[in-house]
Amino acid sequence: MINWTGLRQTYQRLDWWMVASMLFLMTAGVLFIYSACYRDDGLPVAGFYKKQMVWCALGLVLFVIVVALDYRRLGRNAVWLYALCLLLLVLVLLVGKKVYGAYRWLSLFGIQVQPSEFAKLGTIIVLARFLSQPARNMRHMDSLVKALLITACPFLLIIAQPDLGTAVVLAPVTVGMLFVAGTPLRTILLLLLIGGVLMIPVGYFGLSDYQKERIMVFIDPGRDPLDAGWNKIQSEIAVGSGGFTGKGYLKGTQNVLGFLPRTVAPTDFIYSVIAEEMGFVGGITVMGGFMVLLTACIHAAIRAADRFGRLMVVGIAIMLFCHIFVNIAMTIGLMPITGLPLPLISYGGSFMVSIMLSLGVVQSVYVRRYRR
Amino acid sequence: MTGRPGWYEWQGMTDNKYNWRIICVVALVMLAQVGLGSRLVFLHMGENEIYRERVARKRKLEQDILVGRGRILDRNGETLAMDLAVKDVCADPAVITENGHVRFIAEHLARLLSLDSLWVASRLNRPHRRFEFIKRFVPLDTVEDVAALKLPGVFFLDSSQRNYPHAGMMGHVVGFSNLEGVGSAGIEQKFNKYLKGTPGLRISELDGRRHEIYARRSLDIPAQEGSDVYLTLDMMIQYFTEQALLKAVEEHHARGAWAIVQRVRTGEILAMASLPNYNLNEYRTSTPEQRRNRAIAYNYEPGSTFKVAVIAAGLDAGVTTPDKIYDCENGYWMYKGRPLRDYHAYDQLNVADILKKSSNIGTAKIALELGNDRLMWYLKEFGVGQLTGVDLPGEETGILNPLQRWSSISPTRIAMGHEVALTALQMVNMVSSIANRGFLMKPRVVKRIVNTQGHIVYESEPEVLARPIRAETADTMIRLMARVTEEGGTGRRAALDDYKVGGKTGSAQKPVPGGYSDSAHMASFVGFLPADNPEICIVVVVDEPQPLHTGGVVAAPVFREIAEPTARYLAASPDGWGGHETLDIAELSEEGAAL
Repeated sequence: MINWTGLRQTYQRLDWWMVASMLFLMTAGVLFIYSACYRDDGLPVAGFYKKQMVWCALGLVLFVIVVALDYRRLGRNAVWLYALCLLLLVLVLLVGKKVYGAYRWLSLFGIQVQPSEFAKLGTIIVLARFLSQPARNMRHMDSLVKALLITACPFLLIIAQPDLGTAVVLAPVTVGMLFVAGTPLRTILLLLLIGGVLMIPVGYFGLSDYQKERIMVFIDPGRDPLDAGWNKIQSEIAVGSGGFTGKGYLKGTQNVLGFLPRTVAPTDFIYSVIAEEMGFVGGITVMGGFMVLLTACIHAAIRAADRFGRLMVVGIAIMLFCHIFVNIAMTIGLMPITGLPLPLISYGGSFMVSIMLSLGVVQSVYVRRYRR
Repeated sequence: MTGRPGWYEWQGMTDNKYNWRIICVVALVMLAQVGLGSRLVFLHMGENEIYRERVARKRKLEQDILVGRGRILDRNGETLAMDLAVKDVCADPAVITENGHVRFIAEHLARLLSLDSLWVASRLNRPHRRFEFIKRFVPLDTVEDVAALKLPGVFFLDSSQRNYPHAGMMGHVVGFSNLEGVGSAGIEQKFNKYLKGTPGLRISELDGRRHEIYARRSLDIPAQEGSDVYLTLDMMIQYFTEQALLKAVEEHHARGAWAIVQRVRTGEILAMASLPNYNLNEYRTSTPEQRRNRAIAYNYEPGSTFKVAVIAAGLDAGVTTPDKIYDCENGYWMYKGRPLRDYHAYDQLNVADILKKSSNIGTAKIALELGNDRLMWYLKEFGVGQLTGVDLPGEETGILNPLQRWSSISPTRIAMGHEVALTALQMVNMVSSIANRGFLMKPRVVKRIVNTQGHIVYESEPEVLARPIRAETADTMIRLMARVTEEGGTGRRAALDDYKVGGKTGSAQKPVPGGYSDSAHMASFVGFLPADNPEICIVVVVDEPQPLHTGGVVAAPVFREIAEPTARYLAASPDGWGGHETLDIAELSEEGAAL
């Protein structure tokens, strides 16, 4: 039997600020995916905005369902969720579909799914559960090591695809969750230090040439202005040429004329499309939308009824923040180019669904804030 | 909610104790956002202008649309100059040196393009250059061989090369265009404007893949391919002319020889040849002397051929008649303290015989009877000392001293074609005017210019320059000149079996500093045919023939060798002798009366 009264109460307690910012960002996403793709030049991108609308609808439905579910159930089944994520990640390596040189896609019942997007959420849930166990004392080394091991499995599997950007997001998420879970500050600092030291050989031997080139290009964009530096320069030009109010919707030349490659404009570089066409005003407004979204998450974390909920929301907030920050920083030339999409705006089904699921979890925690 | 108490119900003191940690996270997030925001401000507000300019620059397209050069053809459509599609073989030395392929590529290119591999290597071994011509104007089949090797850093540019299928033939008229496609001699130069066409200009914008965006084209001047120039010259007659000249130069060890065939009614040039000549395809190795079109750019003292102008003037002015008898002083006449000699001594000659026997003394006396002013007037009317205005570059004016610089014996010297200089073109044009009932026509070598759409953009029309003598005088002169090629005349070697020829020989000593040379002569003959109804006029000049040097012996046979096949050829041509351009003589007479 469905408890209609309880359900009504649940939805009444939703954070409407978050819902509003979510809807705003989704709408912006559809509008600018259209703008980025309506001149398709023979690429199958013109219909992307319609597909994105479908993903948005699907995401909203899932959001509504997840809000109604008690997040504690997630906690109880976290191990299974985690196992499922790992299974999918292994599967994608074995039978995945190769796109742009990486095995990121899995065909499930005819739908292309990117398991790594869901694996991030799964890892956050299982980590939150682990860190919120009553007996857990973060001052003990074994807890720390176990927590790191939990992250390490999906992390390495995602790196193997390879999808460095997505994998790297797990690092700040884990560190942030460890920090909020009460790991001593010096342990955190030590972790960061070890991580930093490890980065050097990994960066040198582990990165493929194109990744190194991207980093070199970030340091010196003129190095290869036509190839690896192209996207960065063109994106910067796009954003910069927008001016205060932009060139107007559908009038962004960088984007329309294909200076921003048509393959990345609706996904990784959607923000530069917005900034070019809507200018500073548009860019700042979108950023404001994300601020509202993140603030709502933090608010949910503070108001969470229990430690599990709080840690989960913190993990999700950090994940969202990483995506937002890295993506925008990359489009405006503050970071090397990594293929991290912009939540709720970038084109992509798996990503949209996984983000909406995450936000559903956040609201699931938030609407149950009074429960003790 | 029932069930066993779960781990999640463990909360205790943690919430408040760890709140500062959440605040830390929030602060970090805020800081990062401020960072992003400030970068946005810089990008949008600060460096804005630079970025906008870079966008505009990247997108701008300014393209010259190159066009092919028009052809040059003879009056019957025989191609004399045309563009051949070729390619330039180019290289990107930066790419080649970076890959370390210099030697390998140099060897292949040298082998296929017949170049020195060391030289190619030196051009390739320039790591800082992105462009280098290896060989220009390479035929397409060679280019295919090179392209088949798929050498990295080697690429091709479309180009065209001017080709002259008939090499040196009609070379002085056709001229040549240089490597940049600019006409530099002859028709190529004079009609460069029409031949080169108009390169189109396109100002537009590019998309990210460097493709033009048609909708943003702001200027598009379509290219106009170069037009074809049809000459009045006839390949066949040119051939007869050049062959006759070649033979004459060889036979008489001459320094050069030139000839012009003109249609008397219309002024059209049917052939114009000058020796020495050169191969147009190899104009770069030619000398200025070879490139000089002597037929229009060489002033020579015409000698006796000039007597026709003086006698025509005398008859036209009414100071003499064909039957009037002059005392030729037995070949030696002292006038104003200076002797005047005849080649053969005569006692009494009438005007007709003075012309036929080419008596210097007789002609001098006619000139004196005419008087300086009238002589001057007639010479000017005949076009002496003036450009004919032929549509070729580099025409000389000839030399006709003004009256105030004439000495007392000048008229006697001018009468025999000294102290005056003409170009062969002026000479042929002058005699044509006599053959053309007194109408001096403008000589022309271009018949029409047709653009690629088939529209005639220029067509030359017969044009009357002057009318020096009346029709009756002209008719008289034709009769008198026809006697020159008869038995006993100086020009009997110019006579044809089937046609009556009118003409005049000339044998002038070449002027040298301080007087006239004893050994260097100009042998010439100018004449027209058929003499009873002249259609074509031909001048032949042979420069320094050795040892024979008189016009009658050297130049008159050349005239015959040109005239004979030409007459046969023209009589058999569908247009007939006079060509298809018909002139209304009545209309001409009216025009002439007005002149």
